[in-house]
Amino acid sequence: MSAEVRARRTAPSGPPPAGSDEARTAPAPDRPKEKRPFLLDFFPLEGADQTRLSRFYDRLREGRLSTTRCRKDDAWHWPPRTACPTCHTEDLDWADLPETGTIYAFSAVLGGAPLGLEAEVPFAVGLVDLDGSPLRLFGRIEGRAWTGLHVGDRVRVEPYALGDGRWFYRFRAVD
Amino acid sequence: MSGRGVALVGAATTVFGVRPTTWPEMAQEVGAALFRAMPALRAEDVDSLFVGAAEPERFAFQSHVAPLAAEQMGLRPHRVIQRTELACASGQSAIRSAYASIASGLSDVAVAVGVEKMNLPSMPEANTAMGCVMDRPWDGPHGATAPPFFAMVAQRHMLEYGTTPEQLAAVSAKNHRFANTNPHAQFYSKQFSVEKLLGLPVVAPPLRLGDCSSMTDGAAAVVLVGEELVRRYTDSPVWVRGTGQYSDFHNLAHAGSLTQWTGLTHAAREALGRAHISIHDVDFAEIHDCFTISEIVEYEALGLCAPGEGGAFAADGRGDLGGDLVVNPRGGLLGCGHPLGATGIAQAAEVYRQFAKEVPTARQVPDPEWALVHNLSGSANVHSVMVYQGGRAS
Repeated sequence: MSAEVRARRTAPSGPPPAGSDEARTAPAPDRPKEKRPFLLDFFPLEGADQTRLSRFYDRLREGRLSTTRCRKDDAWHWPPRTACPTCHTEDLDWADLPETGTIYAFSAVLGGAPLGLEAEVPFAVGLVDLDGSPLRLFGRIEGRAWTGLHVGDRVRVEPYALGDGRWFYRFRAVD
Repeated sequence: MSGRGVALVGAATTVFGVRPTTWPEMAQEVGAALFRAMPALRAEDVDSLFVGAAEPERFAFQSHVAPLAAEQMGLRPHRVIQRTELACASGQSAIRSAYASIASGLSDVAVAVGVEKMNLPSMPEANTAMGCVMDRPWDGPHGATAPPFFAMVAQRHMLEYGTTPEQLAAVSAKNHRFANTNPHAQFYSKQFSVEKLLGLPVVAPPLRLGDCSSMTDGAAAVVLVGEELVRRYTDSPVWVRGTGQYSDFHNLAHAGSLTQWTGLTHAAREALGRAHISIHDVDFAEIHDCFTISEIVEYEALGLCAPGEGGAFAADGRGDLGGDLVVNPRGGLLGCGHPLGATGIAQAAEVYRQFAKEVPTARQVPDPEWALVHNLSGSANVHSVMVYQGGRAS
């Protein structure tokens, strides 16, 4: 266990930080449990036997949203990559992304959701400018109904368990 | 453009809507309609077939659709046969490929056909198919489909420029009014005033139901030939004078400001430049109103008005008959529905019929010379533009 992960697991107060033992053993919120055929399941296969980006999901399980960074030109990528789109080197490193950001734009899915997400309707989605980063990420926004969201609202990154061993990330509105 | 001239010489469309019919049956239907519309066309003349189809694997559980379409239409292409897939621009891609093939001398007589079957007994499965257009492993799991993306475009446009729901509804009301003149439109018999549109339910805030095009079944076909063959088929050829495309990004993280569609500006500049005209020479345009906000941003990106003025352009009727130019006289995607692979072909069919003066007077553009067709695809990340000229023998 890295010092960073240990530090995260001993956070003093508040809700359990994402990636903590508590968060990890908590039931996956709002997530249907039935197994769907792979091609009807939007969530990716995460193992090293399936993707060269499995480190992304490993780090997500540790509570860290991360991406690749080019060792040659320092460019930040999103999503993480296996080759730099600018200089085309495959010499990339992993780097953690900021854990907080600001909503640039948002909407909500009130109907017409894809298979497996129908039960979660209505849900908010948005583009979030990560603090001190050139990256603007798209994602689900939990923690507040869409009617209470505004452009400029603050959010934090929240890795979460799907309940079947896989993890993904979303944003949570914070005050 | 230089080189061998290429022209549209005929067109056919099926009724668009929620159709009790299958993908192959619609290919048969549009083939039958095409041969009825073009008595001079013989099946053996057609040397090449380009099939625009966005997601037959998802919607119809069918791959390898080019030979399927050929068989359904009674064609045996012997030079080029292929499918073109570019999501919502799959149809225009078929036309562009047919144009390139004829201009190069590889093909002489090509059919570009678009077919899409989108309404399924399980609409969540259909919505899943729509989600696959996005960056599936990264944007897909968040529930990204077209409505929330274009809703964010509308939100930013409202925030930055003060665009209003009434201005959005003006686009929809215009295009639905044109669709009331088009018996093949999904909403041919449905009336939508601005007031009625503003009372429809919110689908993805701030967009309401009437701001969104529909899931639609339909097919369309056009015939393109080399210049020396034109007279065999028509007295009103419509010449391909320019094409342009621009691919900007794919993952939503790279969508930029949302309100500046520079990819469209680039694609239109390329297409108009090849035709040696300016956007202000265009008499009518079939542009991609998958959502009302799309048409508004497109007015701006095409240079018809300044950034931020697209809402007023719509509300002031500058895209209507009697305005600066006529935008979406066919009824648009909003009024006709949006069968992904068929849409771009149906737009070209409208261009052919406008120049041939085969449309009802309620939507006939008076004496047009130049037409522009635009499709975006996905999250407005790719833009495809074609420029046509009518009223000329060569």
